Amino acid sequence: MTAEFTYAFPHRHLLGIQGLNRLDVEQLLDLADTYVDLSRKRVKHADVLSGRTLVNLFFENSTRTQSSFELAGKRLGADVVNMTVQTSSIKKGETLIDTAMTLNAMRPDLLVVRHGASGAVKLLSRKVDGAVVNAGDGAHEHPTQALLDALTMKRRLGDLAGLKVAICGDILHSRVARSNVALLNLLGAQVLLIGPPTLLPKGAAEWGAELFTDMRAGLKDCDVVMMLRLQLERMDGAYLPSTREYFHFYGLDAEKLACAKPGAFVMHPGPMNRGVEIESSIADHVERSLITEQVEMGVAVRMAVLDMLSRNAAERPNGGPDQELDREAPR
Amino acid sequence: MTQRFAICNARLIDPANDIDTIGGVLLEDGVIVEAGADLKSASKGVETIDAGGKIVAPGLIDLRVKTGEPGAEHKETLATASVAAAAGGVTSFVVMPDTAPVIDTVALVDFIRRRARDTASVKIYPAGGLTQDLAGAKMTEIGLMKEAGAVLFTNGEQAVENANTMRRAMQYAAGFNALVMSRPDTHSMTTGTMMTHGAFADRLGLKGAPPQAEWIALERDLILAEMTGAHLLVDQISTARSLEIVRVARMQGVNAACTVSAMHIFFNELDVGDYLTYCKVFPPFRDETDRQALVDGIAKGEIDALVSAHDPQPPEDKRLPLAEATYGAAGLETLLSAALSLVHNDEVTLLQALKPLTCGPADLIGLPQGRLSPGAPADLVLFDPDTPWACNREDLRSRSKNSPFDGRRLQGRVLRTWVDGVTVFDASAEMAAR
Repeated sequence: MTAEFTYAFPHRHLLGIQGLNRLDVEQLLDLADTYVDLSRKRVKHADVLSGRTLVNLFFENSTRTQSSFELAGKRLGADVVNMTVQTSSIKKGETLIDTAMTLNAMRPDLLVVRHGASGAVKLLSRKVDGAVVNAGDGAHEHPTQALLDALTMKRRLGDLAGLKVAICGDILHSRVARSNVALLNLLGAQVLLIGPPTLLPKGAAEWGAELFTDMRAGLKDCDVVMMLRLQLERMDGAYLPSTREYFHFYGLDAEKLACAKPGAFVMHPGPMNRGVEIESSIADHVERSLITEQVEMGVAVRMAVLDMLSRNAAERPNGGPDQELDREAPR
Repeated sequence: MTQRFAICNARLIDPANDIDTIGGVLLEDGVIVEAGADLKSASKGVETIDAGGKIVAPGLIDLRVKTGEPGAEHKETLATASVAAAAGGVTSFVVMPDTAPVIDTVALVDFIRRRARDTASVKIYPAGGLTQDLAGAKMTEIGLMKEAGAVLFTNGEQAVENANTMRRAMQYAAGFNALVMSRPDTHSMTTGTMMTHGAFADRLGLKGAPPQAEWIALERDLILAEMTGAHLLVDQISTARSLEIVRVARMQGVNAACTVSAMHIFFNELDVGDYLTYCKVFPPFRDETDRQALVDGIAKGEIDALVSAHDPQPPEDKRLPLAEATYGAAGLETLLSAALSLVHNDEVTLLQALKPLTCGPADLIGLPQGRLSPGAPADLVLFDPDTPWACNREDLRSRSKNSPFDGRRLQGRVLRTWVDGVTVFDASAEMAAR
């Protein structure tokens, strides 16, 4: 006779992959799997969030992540409000915390936040009563992206343990890379980070990844090649001589992809710079590219995250913070 | 009428005279008449304060304090900083010139001196700007400002980028025996950084300031000091290698001294932890081996002055994402406790800890205080090195409460502070008033 194992998701917010354990992740991925099925039905509706308010608070422009969260919330029956806070309101003098307090007074149950500064979402989460989902903070974390990448790979390749996954491009400024390294390590995959020397932080060796500046060497025997967007808008100096040279050494084309395992899959968090980090023929390759599939998984994963966090929120009748969850050291 | 009183039954710590003994101090008209073991008990006919075996030391001298006066009085004034200083056992401090306007003319040096005299309870000495408006282009009237009472010349947080401007300023200052304090920083490498460069910053996704930026600028300034014969005070070194660079330059005869901030002997990079903006300071907290090397430097007497690097900043500049928050931490009231933490860890002796807080800085800027010598001003502090306390920023007296020590458990509290024989802080009176 086996004892029944129960495990309640113990987090109030989802601020990063750091801080999650394997059970947390598997629970989220399993739940997300069911939401993939729901999303493929003609009537894509569940009512687990009916009556709940979801606010998308984006301090950085984003079309895909914001609409993905919006759809996720709506498919679960939540009332969704999108707020894009332009940087101009910061110039007007309102601080992040003021914005957070104002919103909090409107009693949202779930807050999805993206901000250009690392750590900003965590700062905001301390000031609100609802559950906060980090939709990307600076160069720190983007946990739902890592989860949707994991779900995409899992559905194609099964167990991730032992897989070789290469992440290529601007590692230095990438929150996607940081969250993915953490998550892939948690699930037992081997991670290789590939990028030009100026965009590959030395400290990344301590994250649990091997570093390569030679893309061909790094791609050897890889099961999955994850390309990152070259974030031109973040370059405050001369990290690179030209996009032409970048494509020559780090752009994914058929020839470089041939260094990976035959049939290796290609992923990209989007939006793509075609001809800068990825050749169009690869991006659109029917058998190899999982890029549109990632977008589909994104909605399912975000449904799972919202659902899971709202279950914890349900145990707080007054909407106040639940002290038992994510207890922080007193400071 | 002469004012005469004695403090007896004290443990005297006087690094200038290498004294650590049970004894007392006799004061008259704000000047020390006698100090030593002979004054152990109360003498007849003299008002006597019993120190109860606690420590009496020269009042602390802090070479690096920022206030908001003039220009940003909502952060701190000379008066509010002096209240914080007195409570921290600091009886003399030097204020930085990076105010609005910049202290770069005789009139402004005079303004600071007059405001200090009229409003502050401790001694405040102005530092003059090294270049006009701290723009790094033209030197200031160093000679005239020195005559007016500026004790050192510095470009504040901004290193002078142009090597030739720095060279000429140092050359000129050398002729007037003026002390030049420079912040070793290669700004092009550190602009927009939030903590020290390294694996931890990479993981947090924060832009880091590499220690190399400090070493490059430090080497340049030491070479220029050697070239010009200027007396150089290196402002807040933060790494082991910086200490080594200073050590080598001194062996080669360069007239150089260095300071370390008390925060940098207490915290390391990991304290930035969950993006704590109170730990966003410049230079940033470095790694643990660097912190240990600085502590070792204090034990060996290689750090000439320990500074608070007091930089009051209000919540609107600190309660922000780390990238947007301003640099700086309030430090006057935790200076002594931070230094005592090294004593409690058995890393340095009391004499070693107090030397860079008393006669060390006094000698750099030529002050008679900072020692228990007969004839020296009676600037004294009475403290219990063992009293445990938890730092709560709301209880700080500084107008801004941005202390990285908030929530930390510390040891050692000031009981009483005298400036020229006059009590400027008395913990028991404060307690009674509450």
